[in-house]
Amino acid sequence: MWELIQQNKRRSIVLFVMMGAILLLLGYLIGAAFAPPDGGLFGLVLAIVVWGVMSMISYFSGDSIMLNMAGAKEVTREVHPQLYNVIEEMKIAGSLPRVPKVYIIETSAPNAFATGRKAENASIAVTTGLLEKMNRDELQGVVAHETGHILNRDILFITFAGVMLGTIVILSDMFLRGMRFGGSRRLGSSRSKNGGQGAAVLLVVALVFAILAPIMAQLLYFAVSRRREYLADATAVRLTRYPEGLASALEKISASTDDMPRMNKAIAPLFIANPIKAAGARMSNLTSTHPPITERIAILRSIAGGVGYLNYQQAYSKIKSTREQVLPKSALEEKDVPTARSASPEVVTGTVTSSPKRGINDLIRAVNGFAFLTCTCGLKIKIPPDFGKDSVTCPRCNQLNKIPVAELAASVAVLEGIGAKGVEEEIKSESTYKRQSQSWESFKCACGRTIQL
Amino acid sequence: MVALEFADFEVDTCLDCGGIWLDSGELEMILGQDVPIRVVADSGDVSVSKRKCPVCNKKMSAYATRSPRATEIDVCTTEHGIWFDRGELSTIAESLQEPLRSTVLDQMRAIFTKEF
Ligand SMILES: [Zn+2]
Ligand SMILES: [Zn+2]
Ligand SMILES: [Zn+2]
Ligand SMILES: [Zn+2]
Repeated sequence: MWELIQQNKRRSIVLFVMMGAILLLLGYLIGAAFAPPDGGLFGLVLAIVVWGVMSMISYFSGDSIMLNMAGAKEVTREVHPQLYNVIEEMKIAGSLPRVPKVYIIETSAPNAFATGRKAENASIAVTTGLLEKMNRDELQGVVAHETGHILNRDILFITFAGVMLGTIVILSDMFLRGMRFGGSRRLGSSRSKNGGQGAAVLLVVALVFAILAPIMAQLLYFAVSRRREYLADATAVRLTRYPEGLASALEKISASTDDMPRMNKAIAPLFIANPIKAAGARMSNLTSTHPPITERIAILRSIAGGVGYLNYQQAYSKIKSTREQVLPKSALEEKDVPTARSASPEVVTGTVTSSPKRGINDLIRAVNGFAFLTCTCGLKIKIPPDFGKDSVTCPRCNQLNKIPVAELAASVAVLEGIGAKGVEEEIKSESTYKRQSQSWESFKCACGRTIQL
Repeated sequence: MVALEFADFEVDTCLDCGGIWLDSGELEMILGQDVPIRVVADSGDVSVSKRKCPVCNKKMSAYATRSPRATEIDVCTTEHGIWFDRGELSTIAESLQEPLRSTVLDQMRAIFTKEF
């Protein structure tokens, strides 16, 4: 395993230096184009500062930035026991030091990613679409792939590279936008001031580079991330001992036509499958951050004889008809190769509702801090966290039901990471509406109507 | 809005104003398969509603229906569901054809004893 990690580290360093060079050149050219001739130096310094700050931020909170950008919310075991179990299983199978934190992203597109600094503080995020569409074996396959990224020390690199790529994308985007609005004027003024044909040429160079930089950065990223995807697949096979789980999960993921609306280029590489399925994106394998999914499926399906790294390498060589080694040597020399297991039987639990959609809706409600109560008449009442009253009259039997405000506040606190201290205050502020003046007061009802007190 | 679930049927309601929100999926569940959302909202005059869809937060379309009484139902433009003000759903249900009429009323009566 060690060589594998070392190799990843070395690759990461080379990649960082190259991406950093792109960033610095971009900074230099933008500075030079704006204020020739000395602006270049200023732009360079500025780019170094931005790079430094972004690197610091991504080291200390890159994971939470990623999770935020993806709109991920943390869930506890209570909210989704099955997902939690699967993640716990993978923690044991991969001997991770800690169970990764579990996040859910609300979107119908099935997808997942892992992030964090190291195995000790890793997080795995899955979409609600994934939970809706996968059976247990498939979910396990996806989670195992993400666990593979954690074990292979990919996550820090992915987070770092994602933020770096993001910086380059943002910088060039800002520059290009600025040029579109004030470009011609600037071009004219710089020409008259410095009489510089040179300035105009510099501007064109800067423009071209601003267009190319994000693409180059993405290609660099791609060069390394492809191998990482294969490696994570191989690790997943080993952890689950069931290649078909991941294979059919990838099949379902690629068959889905849902887009993830909130995704941007910077975090797209994190996901198990590219979340942005723009028209024609499937054809351009060169600019894709992921190896073609059909190829990954084909490799997984032709694994034979065992589920070790060597078996994956053999399947890889067969499908791609190449002798290239996609996995590091040390991995291929492993002793005791694990044997494959058969598919797990579909377990039907007692609480399955007739509609899977309902289960997902309830999951989202739980994540968003809803309280669930069942009246003695059998009516289930699902109450939003901003309900503002401590009891509710059952519309079915007229019975007054107390809302577990304390529990509600506590669960909201847990979900939002507030400590036990904040809980008491939460309860006080949530349970009663205090009139602030002597006269009538009104507040907006959840449905948009204004209610008077 | 709170969500109410009974016997595998779910409906969202505002307990302050008595409004009812029916998801497109829930509507299909009461009306049977493949009933387009606008069967309920009679093809009367359409205007832009003041109310926003609770799912997508965009302004809904207001459908003016005549029979049996003049009512205005708000339907999400991207078919997330229908909003009924207090009493509107029972009015609309009364005007439906027979198998549908009792299906809707029975489902709603199971949850709202006072309203239906
Ligand atoms: Zn991956
Ligand atoms: Zn009751
Ligand atoms: Zn209301
Ligand atoms: Zn809507």
